[in-house]
Amino acid sequence: MWESLSIQDIVEYAKDPYPSIRKWAKDKGKKVVGSTIADVPEEVIYAFGFLPVAILGTNKPLKKAPSLLPDNACSLARSNLELALSYEGDLFDGFVLPQVCDTTQHLSDIWRINFPDKYVESYLAPRQVDRPSAKYWVKKEIERLIASLSKWSGKTISDEDLNKSIALHNENKAILLELYEIKRKFPGTITNKEFFAMMKLSEQADKAEFNKSLKTIKDNLKRKEEKDYIDIILVGITCDPPEIYEIFDELKFNIVGDTLVTGARYLQGNTTLSNDNPIDALTERHFKRGFYSPIHDDVYKNFQEIHKLYKETNARAIVYVHIEFCESQEFDLPDLKKLIKQEKIPLHVLDTEYQTTSLSHVRTRLQAFSESLRGGSL
Amino acid sequence: MSEKLTSKQLSKKITDEYMEEAFHAHDLGKLIGYSTAISPVELFVAHDIIPIYPENHAVANLTAKKGAEMCSITENMGYTSHLCAYARSDLAYRQTGMTVTKGIPDADLFLACNAQCFTLTKWFQILARKGNTPLFVFDTPEHIMDKKAREEIVKYCVVQMKELISFLETVTKKKFDYDRLKEVMKYSAASSILYKKFLDMAQYKPSPISIFDALIGMAIAVYRRGTPECVEYYQTLCDEFQAKVDQGIGVVQNEKYRLYWENLPVWFKFSDHAKLLGSYGAVILTSLYVHAWSLDFDLDKDPLVTLAENYVNRFSNSTIEDRADMAMDLFDKYSMNGMIMFMNRSCKAVSFAVPTLKDMLTKRTGIPALVFESDMGDQRFYAESQVRTRIEAYFETLDRLRT
Repeated sequence: MWESLSIQDIVEYAKDPYPSIRKWAKDKGKKVVGSTIADVPEEVIYAFGFLPVAILGTNKPLKKAPSLLPDNACSLARSNLELALSYEGDLFDGFVLPQVCDTTQHLSDIWRINFPDKYVESYLAPRQVDRPSAKYWVKKEIERLIASLSKWSGKTISDEDLNKSIALHNENKAILLELYEIKRKFPGTITNKEFFAMMKLSEQADKAEFNKSLKTIKDNLKRKEEKDYIDIILVGITCDPPEIYEIFDELKFNIVGDTLVTGARYLQGNTTLSNDNPIDALTERHFKRGFYSPIHDDVYKNFQEIHKLYKETNARAIVYVHIEFCESQEFDLPDLKKLIKQEKIPLHVLDTEYQTTSLSHVRTRLQAFSESLRGGSL
Repeated sequence: MSEKLTSKQLSKKITDEYMEEAFHAHDLGKLIGYSTAISPVELFVAHDIIPIYPENHAVANLTAKKGAEMCSITENMGYTSHLCAYARSDLAYRQTGMTVTKGIPDADLFLACNAQCFTLTKWFQILARKGNTPLFVFDTPEHIMDKKAREEIVKYCVVQMKELISFLETVTKKKFDYDRLKEVMKYSAASSILYKKFLDMAQYKPSPISIFDALIGMAIAVYRRGTPECVEYYQTLCDEFQAKVDQGIGVVQNEKYRLYWENLPVWFKFSDHAKLLGSYGAVILTSLYVHAWSLDFDLDKDPLVTLAENYVNRFSNSTIEDRADMAMDLFDKYSMNGMIMFMNRSCKAVSFAVPTLKDMLTKRTGIPALVFESDMGDQRFYAESQVRTRIEAYFETLDRLRT
């Protein structure tokens, strides 16, 4: 299903991936395991023969989630819960839910209580990364996840199974990185919307199939070198709804780097293949990924990361994507803004909310930002 | 001399001496460590680090109705109004010096334990950045219901406590004294037993204690646990309340409703709520929040193990199912016949469990719940008439059910 898609097909699938996932799982007789972001080692789930699917919210109306999570809860958390409760719950045989903040901690509990007949496991990511105990704990959690999936499925996996899965995921990331490089160097060859659709579907489709599509697309790309693009860095956790990428395209912003959990951060830290101990390799990978507000405690490091990316890519500006009611971002943002402004880097903060259907305010503000970059003053 | 003091006088004396020492910490060769209220602060005490809790300072300002003004200042600094009012009022204090107390000394180091909440970790990160001060995040994964996982969580926490000890040794350039820790643990264990005994006075009918007594009484457990004066204070408090029990003195006359409260209090409505409920013959007896410092240390175990076991299983780090069980124990023990479920906009860590918890508790007890949404410290989110109307309607419902 996903092995010979064109870029246009990918954009279409990514818009609403769930019918295709449902059909694929039925045709293949495979179980689907959903995970919210971030950092669940999907390679482990895949090694068991399940399809790991990143749950990335819905733009459909909230019906059940508001009675379980109040309106000041992170909009992504509420949207994910709604997706599972009202729209796509039947698709999933189980869930592995990472806990990285107060909201995700409660979300795991609420999810488990509301899906008593499904497999629901928590992945207790460490909320510190700089001490040896963090590494110790990541390894323990990966081992616990393997034991839990094994208990649920009645299967066991070998190092070879895990290595094969890692290789497939590495391949996916390597192709996406090449595509990102092309996008960076040849603006207009791949639009923002197209690239982030490829990213999204990579986190949701079977990589054994999808990698083939990506490879063919990459090999057949006709490079363009359009002028008038403004290179920008996208900073944040996620960027939704996907129509925002269309606005970037309309305004001729080319995203040349990002720190999104669903973007470049997903591609960071290719897992070293290890015949001896793939669990150690996956553990190491956890610490190769960049800043993620809930688990990293130093906004200076985040700034340094962003600044390095900004310099390396020769970007003109930074767009920060704020998810409404994400407490972690809201604590970090004022200091981060100050640091960015001190460097006189043009910055635009985009407030996003998962259930937003009208993006006119986003368009207007981005238009003004674009105009200021193209000659006006900030 | 201190035997003759009442618990109120003793509390003031302990607090005054504590703050006096804190303000002169550097003269005494000691350091100030900011800590979250639920954290293994026994390690600080054993290492002569004076623990300071910015939350307590925030409570003083919020109770004095400074919340809206202080939170607005912080919002003007770019922080949103959705964040914890403790954090918002504290950031305003840092910016302007505004406080109804003498303030608190600045930190030399920070300990953020997320068994309480993740908010404090983020808040402390801001303060640590500002002062370029070392911060230790003590990560306590949720106390999930799997026995084997719990054992691993405790091991992870013990490893981290050893890292914390190394961190403290580096910052203070002083060797950690494990014998001293054992001594501190004895005091902490003893005061915890007495604190729990004090809270359990709520089982008597009429109850001599309301949650408002508990909230006042818990302060010393929060900032002086691990010291002999803390033990002395709770012994005095227990003696005083035992005397009330012996004389049959209750918080309200003709006690009719014995209520459970979910969440932290609305600090600026503290006494108003007590009076209002009292007028209906109702008394709020307890909450899981005040029981957070009912620690149950096993002195036969390695101190780091019993510390880890206790701090990971606090209500705020437990699953919603376990929280419901904890609350049910209190319902049974204290014979409660009503519940107020406060959706506190400020405290996401506690409040996001409330809708599910409410469903579980009403189902298990058969008692209806009063749910209201507000903020523990920011008056702008408190609608007086709405809360009063709800309380009236709730007692009408309970009356109807009784008849």
